[in-house]
Amino acid sequence: MKRILIVDDSFYMRTMLKNMLSDAGYEIVGEAPNGQTALELARTTNPDLITLDVILPDNTGLDVLKGIKSEQPEMKVVIVSAVGQEVIVNEALEYGALSYIVKPFSEEKVLEVVSQILGGPED
Amino acid sequence: MKSREQEYKEIFIAEALEYFDALNRHISDLERNPQDDHVLAEIFRLLHNLKANAKAIGYLQISDVSHKLETAFSLIRNKELSFSDEVVTVLFDGIDMLGELISNIDNPGAGEPDPVLLRNLDIIVDNLSDSTIELAKVQKYNTSRKLSLSDLIYIQIKKLDHLLNLVGELMIDRDRILSISRDLNNDELMSVSSHLYRITEELQYSVMDARLVNVGSLFNKFPRIVRDIAVAEKKEVNLELIGQDIQIDRNILQIITDSLLHLVRNAITHGIEKPEERLKAGKPKEGRLALTARNDRENVIIRLTDDGKGIDFKQVKRAAIDRKMVTADAVDNLPQAELLSFLFEPGFSLAKEVTEYSGRGVGLDVVKNAIDSIGGRINIESERGKGTSFILRLPTSIAVKGALLFEVDDIYYAIPLIHTESVVSMDISELHEVGDVLLADIKGETITVVYLNELLNAPQEQMRLGDATKLKGQVQNIIIVSYNNRKLGLIVDKLYRQQDIVVKSLKKPLDNIDIYGGVTLLGTGKVCLVLDVPAITRFFTNRR
Repeated sequence: MKRILIVDDSFYMRTMLKNMLSDAGYEIVGEAPNGQTALELARTTNPDLITLDVILPDNTGLDVLKGIKSEQPEMKVVIVSAVGQEVIVNEALEYGALSYIVKPFSEEKVLEVVSQILGGPED
Repeated sequence: MKSREQEYKEIFIAEALEYFDALNRHISDLERNPQDDHVLAEIFRLLHNLKANAKAIGYLQISDVSHKLETAFSLIRNKELSFSDEVVTVLFDGIDMLGELISNIDNPGAGEPDPVLLRNLDIIVDNLSDSTIELAKVQKYNTSRKLSLSDLIYIQIKKLDHLLNLVGELMIDRDRILSISRDLNNDELMSVSSHLYRITEELQYSVMDARLVNVGSLFNKFPRIVRDIAVAEKKEVNLELIGQDIQIDRNILQIITDSLLHLVRNAITHGIEKPEERLKAGKPKEGRLALTARNDRENVIIRLTDDGKGIDFKQVKRAAIDRKMVTADAVDNLPQAELLSFLFEPGFSLAKEVTEYSGRGVGLDVVKNAIDSIGGRINIESERGKGTSFILRLPTSIAVKGALLFEVDDIYYAIPLIHTESVVSMDISELHEVGDVLLADIKGETITVVYLNELLNAPQEQMRLGDATKLKGQVQNIIIVSYNNRKLGLIVDKLYRQQDIVVKSLKKPLDNIDIYGGVTLLGTGKVCLVLDVPAITRFFTNRR
């Protein structure tokens, strides 16, 4: 089963993402509400993919992205952002994020983006 | 019914109220120190989340007001709007309005947001060239305010585990105090202790209740899983879910998750036939799988039913003979229930081929062990050509178990009610010595009966389980227990009562005596051993 780490400061958003992804057969290995926890969990859980919100309480999502990429250059990261964050999203793609999902997202969109990268929930 | 929509809504409201409180805190800070970038960033983040969440769940007024406020704060951040008194007033009003909208989500009669305030917000957001003139027209919006706290909190399950353990300890002391006050026969103490009894009981149920979740939180994961397995197996399966709103302890649901997944995989891979096979058998092309939950007294019954090919009893018989679990002569006399119980033996498998979704070395014995570990039961019903059902009987709560208390050789014992079938009294003449056990005919069934005193207390080499002369008295009390479709009668000296008990596990070095599942303390202060019915029935199965 492919393993995913969810980074988002909103419990509501994390719950939605978690339900959508785990219903689709992915394993959620962790949920991080801030940048610090995100970096720790990326290190300790070594997921197949990270969904990363760009606006976080302690760091900006971009700092977290840079931190993850400097330690785990192969890590697959998908940006989750809201409308109006296009500048940050473009910068994130330059720093190695593979794709992005815009809030409010549909289940279809989330699964489409994630399965494009991981090729589905099964190993 | 608490659907997923309901769950999302509760989470949204709780989090939105949290944001609302934080916004109020931060904007007060900002008023004192308008240049604090950190506070500005935090306000921006909270409004941003509120906007996105409200949009996702469909509360458009909230997302609209959040959006306007977010824009205003980003203008302040970029120094395009000054934090003047008028602006501050409008922003405070705007945040108050958000609070009202959030509190009134469940109250559709609350009406539209005040157009005056919306207009005020538009004025500062649109940053009109003559904004100073316009801002002068800003009207005071809100003077009365109410304080409100979120009705929902999140709590880690381990905190509830700890609470439940403490309640368990409390119940033991309560029973002890009740018993002492009866012995002392002091009216005042009796009245206090019976009050303590009621309060503790209520506390116990409240804590148990706080741990309950809907089985739907697990069931709702299956439509997607079933679809994926069915596609991989080239089968057509329609899944029906019933009783998602039945409630069960969260840890019990966690423990059965893998088991249920395993059973569902089995049902699709080995139970339901391919469409062409089904048509040939005169069945609808699409297989039917039903996952249902219902309450039955203190228990929750989860039932997984498929309309597939059913279990091949001939194959089960062959496999049981091959594994020397039964002789070829005896196998035809076994009732179907006993044959089905072989399926739960370790290493027993009927799967010929390993497919992607089944036969990965996890057998039904693993499922059975998981169910045993929480004091539940599992049964199979199957009819060749018609389909198979797995029936899981689960306790609603882990810590407290209903149990039957009895005495053997002046020592107290308990058996969890989930394993007891019935209690009968029999004359000693109705017990027949056959080989090294006693047999009795109980309601048309021949059941092995054991004198517990002999089993528990006689040295192994002198143990004579089939010797009726060891029994005391003419009439024997027998508790009929059942495990894995096998019944066993236990002869006890004295029967007491049913009681809720808190089972504590045995500490080293006693923890490897497997006929005892644990220990509890009675109100009298006496220790009471809890018998492990699975272990005792296995003991006899292995002897056979």
